Amino acid sequence: MCRECGCADRVPFGVKVLSVIAPKLLQSAARPPAGPETVEIHSPLLAKNDDAAARNRAVFRDRGMLVLNLISSPGSGKTELLSRTMDGFDARSAVLVGDLETDNDARRIHRPHVPVAQITTGTACHLDAEMVARGIERLDLGGVRVLFIENVGNLVCPAEFDLGEEVRVVLLSVTEGEDKPLKYPPIFKSADLVLLTKMDVAEALGFDRQAALSNIGRVAPRARIIELSARSGEGMDEWYAFLNSRLGERREAVVT
Amino acid sequence: MESAMSLVEQHAAGRGGRRVSRVVVRVGALAGVDTQALSFAFDVVSEGTCAEGADFEIERVPVTAYCLGCEREFMGEGDDFVFACPDCGDFSGEVRRGRELELSRIELI
Repeated sequence: MCRECGCADRVPFGVKVLSVIAPKLLQSAARPPAGPETVEIHSPLLAKNDDAAARNRAVFRDRGMLVLNLISSPGSGKTELLSRTMDGFDARSAVLVGDLETDNDARRIHRPHVPVAQITTGTACHLDAEMVARGIERLDLGGVRVLFIENVGNLVCPAEFDLGEEVRVVLLSVTEGEDKPLKYPPIFKSADLVLLTKMDVAEALGFDRQAALSNIGRVAPRARIIELSARSGEGMDEWYAFLNSRLGERREAVVT
Repeated sequence: MESAMSLVEQHAAGRGGRRVSRVVVRVGALAGVDTQALSFAFDVVSEGTCAEGADFEIERVPVTAYCLGCEREFMGEGDDFVFACPDCGDFSGEVRRGRELELSRIELI
C-alpha cells in the first residue's frame, strides 16, 4: 500500500495536500492580513491523475483503441491470462505491464507480434495515469486495436487511479476465497468485468462457486462475470467474445 | 512537490508568520483511504512548514447509492458495502456519493 492513499508511496499524501494549499495561500496573499480566515478549496486530491487519465482517454479514443485495466491480488493469474490471450485472441494487441520490480511478466507475455512494455514502479503500489502515458510512448501502437494494462498486484490502491481505460477488469482466482469481494468492496464496485480465474482447480479446492457469484453480485451488481481458466482454456472463448463485442461497439460508435 | 512546500513556507513568512491552523479533507467511505495513515502522513510532511501543528480534520462522506428500478437515492449503510434498496431489495452498484477524496478548506491565523 502507499502513502498517496494514506499508505506508503514515494509521494507522501500530505505533500499533495500542501501542494494544493500553496496556490490558495498565494491567492490570499493579495488580500491584507486579517483575523482568522477560512479558505474554501474543494479540490479533488487526485485531480492531477484524473486530468492525465482524461488525456490518455482522448489518445485512446483518437486511435480507436479498446483499453482494459486488469487489477487483482498478486498471483491471481493476470500474466497467465494475458500470455494465453496473446496466443488465442486475434485482434492486434499490445500490453503494458506494471510491477514494483523486474520485467519477468513482460518477458512471459512477450510474443514477436505483440508490443510489450514494462513499467517498474519502484515502491508505488499501483499504476497512475502519467506512468501509463509514458509507457505507451515506448510501444509501437501502429495497428493496435486492444491495449491491455496489467496493473500492479494490489486490490486496494489501484481502485482510486483512473488510467483512462474503457473497461476495468478485476480478477479473482478461486484460490483466494469466495468472500474477497466483500473484503475489498471498493475495487470490486469499480469493476466493469470480473474474471473468476483458475477455474480448472476450483473443484479440487472445494471452491463454492455459487457463494462467489453471489458475493460479486451483491457488491458489483452491474459487473459482467466470466469464469475461465487460462491453463485449461475453459471460458477463454467467452473472454474473447467479450473483447470482440466491445470492439464491435467501438466501431458502431465511430460510424455514428 | 518540495518546491510547493517551500513556496508555502516563504509565503507564510511573508505574511508576518501567518500560519495554517486547520486543514479539512473530505474522504468518502468508498475512497479506499485509511484515515489514520492519512493523518500520520500529514503530520510527517507538515513538519517544519507553516502547517506544522495544524489540526487535521477528516470529514467522512457516507455512501449514497441509487436504485435504478425505483429511481431513488438511498444511504448505503453498514460496513459491508453491499447496498440493497430499502424499497425493492435489489442490490445497487450505482454510487452517487462516497468516493470523494478532496481538500475541502483550510483555516489561516
